[in-house]
Amino acid sequence: MNRQLARWAFCAILVAGLPGVGVLGSAALADEAPPVKLNSTADHSKFKELQKKLESGPDVTRACLSCHTEAAKQVHRTKHWKWEFLNPQNNQKLGKQHVLNNFCISISQNYPFCTGCHVGYGWKDKNFDFTVEENVDCLACHDTTGNYKKPAGLAGHPAYKPIESPPGSGKILQPPDLTKIAQKVGKTTRDTCGSCHFYGGGGDGVKHGDLDSSMAAPDKELDVHMDATGLDFTCGTCHSTSSHDVPGSRYKPTAIDKHDAHIRGKVGQGNPATCQACHGNTPHKEHPRLNAHAEKIACQTCHVPTFARGGVATKMSWDWSTAGRKGPDGKHMTKKDAKGHVIYDTRKGDFVLGENVKPEYRWFNGDITYTLLGDKVEKSDIATPINRIAGSPADGRSMIWPMKIMRGVQPFDPVNKTLVMPHTAGNDDIGYWKNLEWEKAIADGMKNMDAPFSGKVDFIKTEMYWPITHMVAPKENAVACAECHTADSRLKGISGIYMPSHSNKGWLDLLGWLAAAATLAGVLVHGAIRIVMSRRK
Amino acid sequence: MTFARTLTAAAALALLGVSFSAQAYDGDWKRGRVYYRSVCTSCHTSQSGHAFAPNEKTKAEWAAYLQADKHAKGKDTVKQYISKQYRASIKAQNKAAEKFADTPDQELFEDIKAFVTKGAKDGDSPAGCS
Repeated sequence: MNRQLARWAFCAILVAGLPGVGVLGSAALADEAPPVKLNSTADHSKFKELQKKLESGPDVTRACLSCHTEAAKQVHRTKHWKWEFLNPQNNQKLGKQHVLNNFCISISQNYPFCTGCHVGYGWKDKNFDFTVEENVDCLACHDTTGNYKKPAGLAGHPAYKPIESPPGSGKILQPPDLTKIAQKVGKTTRDTCGSCHFYGGGGDGVKHGDLDSSMAAPDKELDVHMDATGLDFTCGTCHSTSSHDVPGSRYKPTAIDKHDAHIRGKVGQGNPATCQACHGNTPHKEHPRLNAHAEKIACQTCHVPTFARGGVATKMSWDWSTAGRKGPDGKHMTKKDAKGHVIYDTRKGDFVLGENVKPEYRWFNGDITYTLLGDKVEKSDIATPINRIAGSPADGRSMIWPMKIMRGVQPFDPVNKTLVMPHTAGNDDIGYWKNLEWEKAIADGMKNMDAPFSGKVDFIKTEMYWPITHMVAPKENAVACAECHTADSRLKGISGIYMPSHSNKGWLDLLGWLAAAATLAGVLVHGAIRIVMSRRK
Repeated sequence: MTFARTLTAAAALALLGVSFSAQAYDGDWKRGRVYYRSVCTSCHTSQSGHAFAPNEKTKAEWAAYLQADKHAKGKDTVKQYISKQYRASIKAQNKAAEKFADTPDQELFEDIKAFVTKGAKDGDSPAGCS
């Protein structure tokens, strides 16, 4: 009995002791504080509302709104929700609901596909109810797992059952575990913003040129601010958001910012996403001469030497007029370049892609006017601007900006002389991508917008400006002096500036040399007189 | 016999205690991504010219690999290259090691595990080297 008692006592000590050894062991292993969540101050898995089975996106939103009561109403007031922006300068109604571009052209009748990137659920046609709170998609921006995906074609919903995505690919997309994802929500990250903004135009890096998946975890050379092992900025670090309204706009960009660096708490300081909002207007402490450059040259002009330099190509041109050609087998075909980029697709036409692209440069004062549906256009060798940027050396509010200029050839109505919005996507008997019939596809897209269409189709050259502002290189990789101050300058063709070593003007050079010679002569004569006079004394 | 049984039960309970502390932490795949690419990929590329992408293994293969904890065919351990000691030794040349110099070993291990599981061939987001 005593032996048995002793045996149990020994084991009891062991049981009590081993975890202690374990704990000590792990403490010794790491000499560290207990693990803790770092991306949120709340462990959402502990909330009862999020412990029940959440079957759909709106289910998740209802649960979120039970605590975050004002969140949906805040989102409802933003351009992320309405895809609509009224330009106060010219009263143009912009936003994806209204504009055309020279990528996939427009959302008209393509809603369920485009709205895979809407911060909402159920925008499948133009009758979407923008007032319903549970239609707001919290997870699109607050997922931290990276597993929340909204495939094209589901009107902004995630998959609720296994589906083939993309259709015809043979790849089965499993529905995400919404409960698990909701339990892990946190602040926005480069990945959440990037899940849409990296893939604008229908693929990785297609649209912007300075935003693509390489920016999810970039190194310092790609982006000095977002460098994942350095400053590690998220998008929200600069696009400092209040009440869910994200500052910064491509429809009305801040081309010149005369404010000093922002001071916390001070109101009315303007756009927090400009370079000057942190760096002020005289950022070059060691080389003050460069501050004079910064009076006329946007920071990005020198500090973003090239775009699409993270290994992801961007589309530089898109020719819709060649779409419709099928392969020898009579089926849709694609052609790829040596690097595997698709350069021809039966559904879409020809593409030119670029990597490590030097921007083009333009005077820009932030004013942009769009060519909207119904605006008259003329077919000619000169490209029709999808957006006209304003700026000049003389208006006092322009800077020289780097631009990606997307060039395209896209369908238009040669009788009404307007650009058109075709119904492209969809597994129906109208969408161009399946049926390859422009007339039918355009008639449907235009009818949806209550816009006239003559039934005739032609193609017109277009171009679209995209100011470049991301992919900021470290200062040692900025554009060097000699890249502009040379005959083959990056800024050649820019009017209204004099660049030594580039802007050779005979009379001005002669004047300069004469001034230098006169100065030298003056010094020599003055010196000679002083020598003569001192000898006389 | 009874003693052996009791001892086994005690040991199992103790081990459960240890593993529980590890399970309580929820790996941050984004942090794992940075360490994997900046330290593991970077070293493999420079030393052997071949970096292992997460999508070269299935989730089960990654789990088995990490469980076995054998690096370079058993010459050393995986955990060794995640340890604070290792990070301290390379932090002058490696920014990720410097950035995560004070991150607890077990946390960083779970972060990497979360990343390779997510990026595995059959993971939620199969991931290449870059």
